[in-house]
Amino acid sequence: MNRALPEMLQCSDMTVLQRQRARLKWQTEQLRQQNYFCELSGVFTSQTGFQQGGLMNGAGGGDSVLSNMGMSRQLKPDPGLETAWPELGKINMGFGSCGYGNGPSFDMNHAISRTSSCPPAVAAAVGSKPVEVKGNSEKMGSAVGRESFKKRKVEKLQNSKVVAEDEYKRIKASEEEEEESKITGPNTIKISNNKKQNSGDTSKDNSKVSEVQKPDYIHVRARRGQATDSHSLAERVRREKISERMKYLQDLVPGCNKITGKAGMLDEIINYVQSLQRQVEFLSMKLATVNPSLDFNIDNLYAKEEFPSCTTNFPTVGMAPEMTNHSPFLQFNPIQQVVSGCGVEMGMGMGMNSSDMALRRTISAPVSIPDASFLNTTCFTGPQQQIQPSAPWEVELQNLYNVAFTDTIEASDLEMEM
Amino acid sequence: MDPRKIMQPSFTAKYVSYLVPALTNIGKQASPSVGRCIDAEKIVRYEIDMALALSAEGFAWSHALEHKLRLNVDNHNHAGKSQSYLAHDDDHRNTMPVNHEPAAKKLKVDRTRSEPEAAEEEEERLTYLRKLIPGGSGEMMVDDETLLSELGSYVSCLELQVNVLRSMLQFN
Repeated sequence: MNRALPEMLQCSDMTVLQRQRARLKWQTEQLRQQNYFCELSGVFTSQTGFQQGGLMNGAGGGDSVLSNMGMSRQLKPDPGLETAWPELGKINMGFGSCGYGNGPSFDMNHAISRTSSCPPAVAAAVGSKPVEVKGNSEKMGSAVGRESFKKRKVEKLQNSKVVAEDEYKRIKASEEEEEESKITGPNTIKISNNKKQNSGDTSKDNSKVSEVQKPDYIHVRARRGQATDSHSLAERVRREKISERMKYLQDLVPGCNKITGKAGMLDEIINYVQSLQRQVEFLSMKLATVNPSLDFNIDNLYAKEEFPSCTTNFPTVGMAPEMTNHSPFLQFNPIQQVVSGCGVEMGMGMGMNSSDMALRRTISAPVSIPDASFLNTTCFTGPQQQIQPSAPWEVELQNLYNVAFTDTIEASDLEMEM
Repeated sequence: MDPRKIMQPSFTAKYVSYLVPALTNIGKQASPSVGRCIDAEKIVRYEIDMALALSAEGFAWSHALEHKLRLNVDNHNHAGKSQSYLAHDDDHRNTMPVNHEPAAKKLKVDRTRSEPEAAEEEEERLTYLRKLIPGGSGEMMVDDETLLSELGSYVSCLELQVNVLRSMLQFN
């Protein structure tokens, strides 16, 4: 890669660099032929920024880089490639047939398959090797990178983990392709970490490294610009899970669709939680004042005269989307009306709305008619009466809910997407 | 997520079935008087919170809430009152830079922040969220990821709770 050359020039050890450069070139050529890799690597190239700014991305990115930019960009070995790795592994096998020698590549794949949590490093074609082109040390923060490139190689050589990579390189008839971000089980840290400075060794180790047996590690190709150690890999997994949770919360909290930042989202969540808590507090106080004279209007939940559509007083935004459009609700209405037709005069005619809606929201499944019968019988003690059989209606309430509940379980998939 | 979906109808059922009798009992026990009214508020609040905790089993926050409530009750048993589990957080409420609280003191970090400070801001917010959710500072929710999961269930249960309470009050 001639482009890499100028950067490489800064490296003290030109010999090593030149050698590696040559290898890289060769590999790049190979990769270019395998352009389809880009698609696979597209999985992890999403963040790839191949600017001079040098965003390092997954190794996959490396592929793209290779194909698109040649090796002018430095690819940081990234241990975190998770998704496409196995596929790359397979492709690697394909590569193997290309003349790489399948044995070692298979070994690498085996190493890969052994991996459970860490996606195997598809050392292969990922050609992350080109990653080597450390010349571009943007990621490293400039000068350091260049040196680290060389040093990294050295380090890798040192590292037994490197062996696997070396082996891979060997397959390609190139030696020491350390850059590969191998994530070896425990101690990958040394490898390919752009930040790593140097082990101080030289490339001489390459040759002997290649002879080393491939350790039993999970080799994961690092994403461009990311560290390869297991810590950062776990960190990335964690971050993804967190963003997944954040997305869920975004659906839950009303009005968060437009907010993009994590901090902003958290702000909204905080606001919402505080607002809900305040509402609870307010309602609690209200309930306390009303309580002594409270004819528990829980029965109102069941007896509706009508179903006005006003739900505005409810902070139900979060729930409404899940519930409002279900035909079961429609089915519920007639039952309610039947109930109300029983002549219970609830004095509060204001349309249950809230209570009804609350009930409906919570019961997403249609309530069968038999259940309605108990509605007819139990609740209508009239507003002036206490709930006599709190136990009985409670039980029936439970039954009602249970019925709905079981139905809901099945229907839940339809209703809510979470 | 899924357990939460399934939980919603049962949550409401449990909540109502716990709270209504509890409140009815309060009404029966307490004779209306000023002093008792104050206690009634706290008792009602306690029952409301306990209903929340018991209706949403299986979450770290609900366990923490129940535990806290029982602890509070024990502490104040002779006085016959219990505090809102949020009581200790009242002071925090005003210090959070909430959009709709102009009087609130802003977070130390300015909104227009640079990249490295963004993480710090997030951290501050997460810390604040831990104070909001019961058990947020406990060992169960040390993990950010767990915290966010718990937040999800907590928020949806709070919504349900508010709905039930409103409906209970609707016709009074």
